[in-house]
Amino acid sequence: MTPNPPCSSGACNGGGGNGNGGMNRRSFLRTSGVLASGIAALAASLAPLRDLTDYTSAAEFMQKHYKELSKDDMDKVLDRITREVEKQYAIRPHVKDYKPMDGVEFVYCLNLTRCIGCRKCVHACVAENNQSRDPEIQYIRVLKMPHGSFDMEKGDHNYSTPTVPEKGFFYMPVQCQQCKNPPCVKVCPVEATWQETDGITVIDYDWCIGCRYCEAACPYFARRFNWTKPSIPKDSINPEMSYLGNRPRKQGVMEKCHFCIQRTRAGKYPACLEVCPAGARKFGNILDPNSEVSYILRTKKVFVQLKEELGTSPRFFYYFDV
Amino acid sequence: MNRNSNIALVGIAVAFLVLAAAFVFDLWGRTPATPPIPLVDKKFVDTSPSRVSIAEFLRKGGDPSDYECNICHEKNKPIKIKFDADNNIILPKEHLDIALSHGSHKRNNNCYNCHDEMNLELLQTRDGRQLKLVDSTPLCGSCHGPTYRDWEAGVHGRTSGFWDRGLGDYSRLGCASCHNPHSPKFPGREPAPGPHALHPIAKAPAHHESERTHE
Repeated sequence: MTPNPPCSSGACNGGGGNGNGGMNRRSFLRTSGVLASGIAALAASLAPLRDLTDYTSAAEFMQKHYKELSKDDMDKVLDRITREVEKQYAIRPHVKDYKPMDGVEFVYCLNLTRCIGCRKCVHACVAENNQSRDPEIQYIRVLKMPHGSFDMEKGDHNYSTPTVPEKGFFYMPVQCQQCKNPPCVKVCPVEATWQETDGITVIDYDWCIGCRYCEAACPYFARRFNWTKPSIPKDSINPEMSYLGNRPRKQGVMEKCHFCIQRTRAGKYPACLEVCPAGARKFGNILDPNSEVSYILRTKKVFVQLKEELGTSPRFFYYFDV
Repeated sequence: MNRNSNIALVGIAVAFLVLAAAFVFDLWGRTPATPPIPLVDKKFVDTSPSRVSIAEFLRKGGDPSDYECNICHEKNKPIKIKFDADNNIILPKEHLDIALSHGSHKRNNNCYNCHDEMNLELLQTRDGRQLKLVDSTPLCGSCHGPTYRDWEAGVHGRTSGFWDRGLGDYSRLGCASCHNPHSPKFPGREPAPGPHALHPIAKAPAHHESERTHE
C-alpha cells in the first residue's frame, strides 16, 4: 500500500479528507462487526464452561500441602469439606484425618483357593468408599484365569456366567498392591501421592492435578481417573469419611484403593474383607506376630506377589491352601 | 483498502459467526451418551454369611422343633441305616430334604459318623466326645485337622470386626455358617455385575479363533 492511496471508494480513511485517525461510518461498522462476531465466537467456544458446577473455593486454592498443614489448618480444611459435602449431598458427614498408627504396617493376603469370583468385594468397596456409580469407578478388578497359568494376558474381567466359580478357572481379584517401592509415587510431579508409615499409599485429592502419570506408572491398573464429575445417589453416601480416603472426589483427580483408611486406621477390617462370603480375604498388621497375616506368611507354603519381577514389592500377597 | 480486503474481512466475520453458532448449538456434538449404569442390587453388598447355621437360626428365635429328634426317635435305640446296591444311603421320606454328599469317595455315608446313634440330638466325634448340634465346629475339626488349625488362627473362614483387638471385638463364623454339614462343598453363586467400561470394548472373536488353531 502506498502511504496515501487514492480514494477510489468511500472505504478509505477520512473519506471526506478529514485527516489521519478519523473513521468513517462504514469502516466503523465493518470493523466492529468483525470484532463483535469474533467476541461472540470466543464466548461461544467457552460454552463447555457452562457445565462447570463445582468451583474450587479460594480456601481450597490457597490450601497448603497436606504435610505442611498444622492441626488448626486441618480442622479448617475438614470443616470446609464437611460444608461442601453437606451442600452437595444433603448429609452431614463425619470427616476425619486418620493418622497412621505406631507399630503398624498393613498387609493383605488373599487366598486364591477360596475366592469364588462373586465380585461382592468390588461393590462393597464402591459403597464404602463413595465411588462414582455412573460413570463407574471400581478399585477392584476380578480376573478369571484358567487353571495352571499365571499369565495375566489370559485373565478375563468381563465374565458373566450365571454362577461362579466356573470349572477349570480360578479367580484373582486385583486392587492397589500398596507397594513398598511404589512406581506411582515416583512419577507424581506435585507430590500429591505418597506412602505413609503404615504402608498405605495415599492421594491428596486437593493436591492432585490430574496428569495421570501415576495411572500410567502403575503395573496393576490400580488407579482410576475421574473423567467426569462423580455421581453418587444421595442416599448411598457413606458419611464416615477420611481426608485421604473416601471423601467425595472432584472431576479431574485420581483415586485408588487405600485399604479403607477410615476403617483400618480405626482398627476395623476393610469393607472388601467384611463382605467376602468365602473368607478368602485376610488383613492385618504384619508387625504383630500373632496377627492372621503373620500366620499366613509364616505357615502357608505358596504365596505370590503379583509381577514380583518388577521390584515393586507389594504388600498384597496371593496364597493357596496346600 | 481495496475490495479484496473488504471481502476478506466479511469472510472472517462470517466464519466467526458460523463458529459461534457451531459452539452454541454443539454442531459437532459431545461424546455420545453411554447407556446409564443401573445401581447394583443391595444383596451384593450384604455381609451376612452365606448360609444360616442351626446355632444362628436358634439364636434368632427360629422354630427348634426340627432339631428335637427325640419327638420321633427313641433314645438309646439306634435306627438301622439302609443302603442301596451302590452303597448310597436310602433316606427315609422324613429326611428327603437332606442331600448327603460329604466326601468324594462315598466313605462318609454313615449318619453315625457324626450323629450319636444313642441320642440323635447330640453329635459325636470319633474319639468319643459328645457335642450339641449348635456346637458342631470341633466335630468338623476332629477330621479336618489342618483346616481346623487355620480356623483357630482366624485364617480359614471370615473373621469380622476389629483387626486391632485392643480397639474392639471380632467375630468368627463357625463351619456351618458357610458349609452345609451334609454337603459341605461351598456352593456356587450368582456373580455381581462386571465392570462397565467408559467406552464399550469391541469384541475380538477372531483373536480367540487364531489362538485355538495355534494349539
